[in-house]
Amino acid sequence: MSRSQVTKYLRPSTPEEALTLLRNGGKSARYVGGGADVARTLPGDVTTLIDLCTLNLSSIEESAESIVIGATATLNEVLENRSVANVCNGVVAEMMRKVGSPLLRNMATIGGTLVSAHSWSDVIPLLLVLDAEITLYDGDSRTMGLGDLYASRERFANSILTSVMIPVSGPGDYAAFHKFSRTAYDIALLNCACYVHVEEGRCTEARFAAGGTPRLATRLPQVEAALRGEALSDETIERVAQVARDTVKTADDRRASGEYRKQLVYAGVKSCLHEIAQRLEGGQ
Amino acid sequence: MIDITLTINGEKRQFAVNPGETLLELLRREGYKSVKKGCESGDCGACTIILNGRAVTSCIVFAVKADGGTILTAEGLENDGKLHPIQEAFLEEGAVQCGYCTPGMEMATYDLLSHNPDPSPLEIKEALSGNLCRCTGYVKQMKAVKTAAKKISGEAK
Repeated sequence: MSRSQVTKYLRPSTPEEALTLLRNGGKSARYVGGGADVARTLPGDVTTLIDLCTLNLSSIEESAESIVIGATATLNEVLENRSVANVCNGVVAEMMRKVGSPLLRNMATIGGTLVSAHSWSDVIPLLLVLDAEITLYDGDSRTMGLGDLYASRERFANSILTSVMIPVSGPGDYAAFHKFSRTAYDIALLNCACYVHVEEGRCTEARFAAGGTPRLATRLPQVEAALRGEALSDETIERVAQVARDTVKTADDRRASGEYRKQLVYAGVKSCLHEIAQRLEGGQ
Repeated sequence: MIDITLTINGEKRQFAVNPGETLLELLRREGYKSVKKGCESGDCGACTIILNGRAVTSCIVFAVKADGGTILTAEGLENDGKLHPIQEAFLEEGAVQCGYCTPGMEMATYDLLSHNPDPSPLEIKEALSGNLCRCTGYVKQMKAVKTAAKKISGEAK
């Protein structure tokens, strides 16, 4: 595969410099994180690559409220991180193990994953339900919710994603992730993620998201409303899974039909909630 | 062209590379033919190398990205004509049929065993999940990794 159209590979040392290089490069310039996605799918009109891995943004640090992950930390670095492992029973590592192969995860970065925003991404639905925030640099740094970012039209225009924040979890916080794919290594036909906060046996907060519907992952507000205030009984789980199946917006593509995807959402929500219910019973 | 420095199999070398060139293209051009060209999209694992301690598919790593880094290819596994325990294990277990996937499998095994000296069958499967073999059913590779782990831990004792 020839990427011979690339005439410049630039390695800025500060976000300011990277931003200037992008602005100067216009449409022919593109940022590179781990590079795996760019090297595979480089559009023919891109002639300048700007590597963000030289910005020194790959640290993972834990503060009182959140774990701050630098945008160029690789998916495997996130998977293996001890602070990240403490979030909701290790759900982040469990999800990451289902993303491609270890070879890909040693290159793919968390920032690149969020910016590429593939509709089948396993990372995005889970980070949506964990209420992750991101920091963007566009001359100034600003922080916003990941969901708000995807809902906005501008997304990443003229800015650099510098870090991702995942809130630390405490007692009563549970999350689960389920991916459906033809093989363990394939991208998702559909995936779903769930977070609940349980107090005195009831879900005081519930967040769901589904991805690969086949659109980009979004939260499922009707499903969340159906679970809030409820205990995780078998009956409730069945009813909530049915709400998910009946309200999720799906469509056909070459991988699966919209109707099949609705059934997968049903099965995925059910499986996430049963997993959490089992943990609750086990007192974990 | 961009000048980069790489330490490949213990030898520090300088190269002039094209900005869009991949590590796979550079390594094969420079004679590291154990690095196989397969899918060129990061799916098959035939081009797996160790870059700065971790296994990656070199077909989707820009060569410039590796500047200043350390690379290990299957050529660098043997030491003074003596095969590496991973290579010995692949030979002994007959984990080779056509051989095209073998160097990549060995490098993925190298990454696994350097971080996890005694992997479970599931961990071995996960570690090799990015390396496709079209000849076999992976059973012998699984055995080879287990044997390699035993050889390496035996050496360490």
